[in-house]
Amino acid sequence: MIEFKGVHKTYDNGVKALKDVNIMIEKGEFVFIVGASGAGKSTFLKLMMREEVPSAGEVIVNNYKLSKLKRREIPYLRRTMGIVFQDFRLINNMTVFDNVAFAMRVTGSSYRNIRKRVPYILGLVGLQNKARSFPAELSGGEQQRVGLARALVNNPSLIIADEPTGNIDPELSFEIVELLTEINRRGTTILMVTHERDLVRMFHHRVIEIRDGCVVSDVAARKRTDKAAFHEAGAVDATGIFPSAKQGGEI
Amino acid sequence: MNFSSVRYLIREGFRNIWQNRLMAFASVGVLVSCLLLTGGAYMAFVNIEHIFKWAYGQNVVVAFAREDCTDEQLDMLMDKISGITNVEKVKFISKEQSLLKYKDSIPDTVYEEMQGENNPYLDAFEITFADLGKFDQTITQIKQIPEIDSTVYSDDIAHKLTNIRQVVLMVSLWIILMLLIVSLFIIANTIKLTVYNRRLEISIMKSVGATNAFVRIPFMLEGIVLGVSAGAIAYGIICLLYSKLYDVFGTSMIGGLVSFDSVWHTILFGFIAIGAWTGMTGSAFSMRKYLKDQGGISGVL
Repeated sequence: MIEFKGVHKTYDNGVKALKDVNIMIEKGEFVFIVGASGAGKSTFLKLMMREEVPSAGEVIVNNYKLSKLKRREIPYLRRTMGIVFQDFRLINNMTVFDNVAFAMRVTGSSYRNIRKRVPYILGLVGLQNKARSFPAELSGGEQQRVGLARALVNNPSLIIADEPTGNIDPELSFEIVELLTEINRRGTTILMVTHERDLVRMFHHRVIEIRDGCVVSDVAARKRTDKAAFHEAGAVDATGIFPSAKQGGEI
Repeated sequence: MNFSSVRYLIREGFRNIWQNRLMAFASVGVLVSCLLLTGGAYMAFVNIEHIFKWAYGQNVVVAFAREDCTDEQLDMLMDKISGITNVEKVKFISKEQSLLKYKDSIPDTVYEEMQGENNPYLDAFEITFADLGKFDQTITQIKQIPEIDSTVYSDDIAHKLTNIRQVVLMVSLWIILMLLIVSLFIIANTIKLTVYNRRLEISIMKSVGATNAFVRIPFMLEGIVLGVSAGAIAYGIICLLYSKLYDVFGTSMIGGLVSFDSVWHTILFGFIAIGAWTGMTGSAFSMRKYLKDQGGISGVL
């Protein structure tokens, strides 16, 4: 699904952002990408989204060889992935419904399809009652769930979450990662960039650490989510935010 | 592209205008001013052309037929002169008509003596040219006709008129061209501001896989609507102003003014076309630059 083969990235100003990165992420995995600021995490994501091209090596995402991808093919690559941003990137003068529908509209979905799909996705992220609210009326955690709904609405096989908990309270961070974990259980590959080590420790997913542009560790996933550790740390239970998803079925 | 997409893109184009209505109003205003200046330059050019045509009509060349020409030869000569490409009008003046012109200025006895074979005048043709720029070559063609005895003309005036006309033509064209470029920049700037205001939406669109064309269309539509509106408004104003001008100076000036009825369609379609073209090109230019330089997903806000 995602493969980095001997990837180097040096920017025009001489900064070496990535050095000989070799990573293989299979379909259906949940991977945390961790590292300090300036470690190369953003470059890693930009290469995957084809915002940048590697100086050397090959990046393959969802069967697209990105170095050979033509400019006009980039939108079609991006339709196979959903992106969740740290700053939510919601349009303030649009309702929750319209923010989510926006992602479908700009990829040419019909009104009929949008009317059917958006309420379903809002239900998945526990925001079915907030469809008519505006982003300013929501909490940080809710805003990020709208961002997640928007990333999910076009049914991508890969979700890239760029520090999705960076702008929300610690207790709500758990909600978001649990939501992502639930989405992952249904087969969507999740790649989450974060520098919150406590959060990473609570969820036993695969962890790739980047330091100074190099992959310094790659720890495989463990079997259980240690929610108890999080509660011991004083966070709230996030039960109930994913009611429809808990009943099973595809996203 | 399906019907939902087309409907969405059109709605977005108009939403852009409404959300940036102050800027849209300002750019339509400036664009109207540019079009008015362009239209003014065009109308001035049309009227100067009209005056030149009138002046050309006053600049008559007289060609005299040989004394021994028969009536048949004179008819043939008339046809030959009329057949020259640059000749617009030919008027035959018989030697009797020429003499008649001077009847009042000479004693009756002398006039009587000049009748018949003693008539000192020659049969003549008054010739008007269509284009004074080709004065010299047309005169040469006339002189080459064997039945022509001599010609009388003022090539100095013809050359001066031609030179002035060329200067006026060049100045008008440059003014119109410069104003078009200014219009293009105005629209491009408006769209650039709109794009800047909506960079969040654009980054989201790009992140979910909207094609560049899909991102661009509402902005181009906005540019076209602004341009066409400016064109229509400028037409209305120029129609009003020129009609007033025509009422005052229409017939009192040398050669008269060109009536608006004869140029309204050129002005209307010209303004609409210039407006639509500058709107579309200006938007395309701004969007192309934005999408190329900064239109990425991350780091634009």
